[in-house]
Amino acid sequence: MSNAIEIQGLRKEYHGFTLEDVSFRVPQGYIMGLIGPNGAGKTTVIKLIMNLIRRQAGEIKVFGLDNLRYEPEVKARIGFVYDTPRYPEDLRLKEIAAAIAPFYEGWDRSRFTALMEEFELPFKATFKKLSHGMRMKFSLAVALSHNADLILMDEPTAGLDPNFRFELIEKLRSIIQNEKKSVLFSSHITTDLERIADYITFIHRGRIVFSAAKDELLETWGVVKSAGDGIRPADIPGFRGYRRTDYNLEALTSDIATARRNLGPAAVYDKATLEDIMFFISKGTGHD
Amino acid sequence: MIKVLRMEFVFNRRQLAITMAIFSIYFGWMANRIPSPRAFLVLTSLMIGLAIPFGILGREDKFKTASLVCSLPLRRSSVVLAKYAMSWITIGLALIYAIVLTAVLPFARIPLGEILNPKSLLISLAMISLLFSFILPFTTRFGLIGIIIFLVSTQVLGILLLVLGQILGPALNPLRMVIGTAENGIRFVLDHPSTSGFLLTLAASAVVLNAVSFFITRVLYARKEM
Repeated sequence: MSNAIEIQGLRKEYHGFTLEDVSFRVPQGYIMGLIGPNGAGKTTVIKLIMNLIRRQAGEIKVFGLDNLRYEPEVKARIGFVYDTPRYPEDLRLKEIAAAIAPFYEGWDRSRFTALMEEFELPFKATFKKLSHGMRMKFSLAVALSHNADLILMDEPTAGLDPNFRFELIEKLRSIIQNEKKSVLFSSHITTDLERIADYITFIHRGRIVFSAAKDELLETWGVVKSAGDGIRPADIPGFRGYRRTDYNLEALTSDIATARRNLGPAAVYDKATLEDIMFFISKGTGHD
Repeated sequence: MIKVLRMEFVFNRRQLAITMAIFSIYFGWMANRIPSPRAFLVLTSLMIGLAIPFGILGREDKFKTASLVCSLPLRRSSVVLAKYAMSWITIGLALIYAIVLTAVLPFARIPLGEILNPKSLLISLAMISLLFSFILPFTTRFGLIGIIIFLVSTQVLGILLLVLGQILGPALNPLRMVIGTAENGIRFVLDHPSTSGFLLTLAASAVVLNAVSFFITRVLYARKEM
């Protein structure tokens, strides 16, 4: 399977934060969710792919091309959606699009018009008049109008209300699935990614915790719940983190089947959601 | 680069139109008040050399559009080249506009023939280059906040020099020395005979200043983190 993105040994150091040895792949034609708590390094990874910040080590290839050496060629194939869209606020949407369109050979005017209508965006409105949600939609319309093979989205649903998020995700899903585009979608809102992603990469404190197929994750990971002190976290196969209340132990395991087999009726077993995984690894006890 | 120029024009055209409207009044007023074409050129060049790059870079800083521009399929060196080209095109147009105003305004006191000579024009270009070659790299590195800090710092320095001048007396006044040196430098250039060697030196200075400034800005912009 060819890859849309291949990242190897990426490193970026800031004062008080280091992105260290980040490696993962986004298979072509699939949606990869990049999850992690705030400050985990998601935006840093996306900015490094876009060469908006300088890496200190590592390699990034987009469709097999080095992202620095072939910067224009690589960026021509990427549709980029920022966490906060950056456009001159006093310009009309049609003026912004007119300024950006010439950079992309594949710019499809009729497609842009259709997306603007679908997203109910007025061409004549100035950017400053748009709400945050409308701004994200406009950014998405621009990113999807030049026939990009890879869509990079940095927290596109952050700050949106649930209805708006749902609407945006559904539109995104229908557009992307119909056209077999590759997508890297960063978010700390795991429910959005549960609905849309094929693969999940979890980043925490600047390091990759795992990168795997979502269905496999949700199938094999689970939460073990036990009353009292009958089970020690270390006894749970595939143990990845736990929390203990006065009466209960709740632990995350990456191997729920073995845990069930070994511990038997001493515990209750639930499938883990992405939220569980993110919670136990970032906030739970015992995760190294 | 043409695409970036076009984009910069679309992004900045309102700002440039507003600047030109304000300049029209100011240039008209200056043309009426100042009889010396050299003084007119020096002041005009200072205004244009400061206002145009500030206007363009200020908007980029305000709307944080640098990250948008750098996400487009082009190299950062093309962005810097376009910024210089855009600034010089607008500076050139503004200078032509100022000269045309002195020609058409009935109350202008400046003889047009005295402005339209190679020496006067080269002096203005060299002066604009001097300002411009400093502003663009500095703003690229530190943003508009950096420029504000720089201006405030120079004011504080000026106050300190004033105080020092009071303490040391008129003979050793450092502020007078600084102003005197700048004044003598400008006077030297203005009064120098228009020999071909002098004109070539002026033109070469403008080119060298711009080239050095461009390469510094290119390095700074390549290292800039968005």
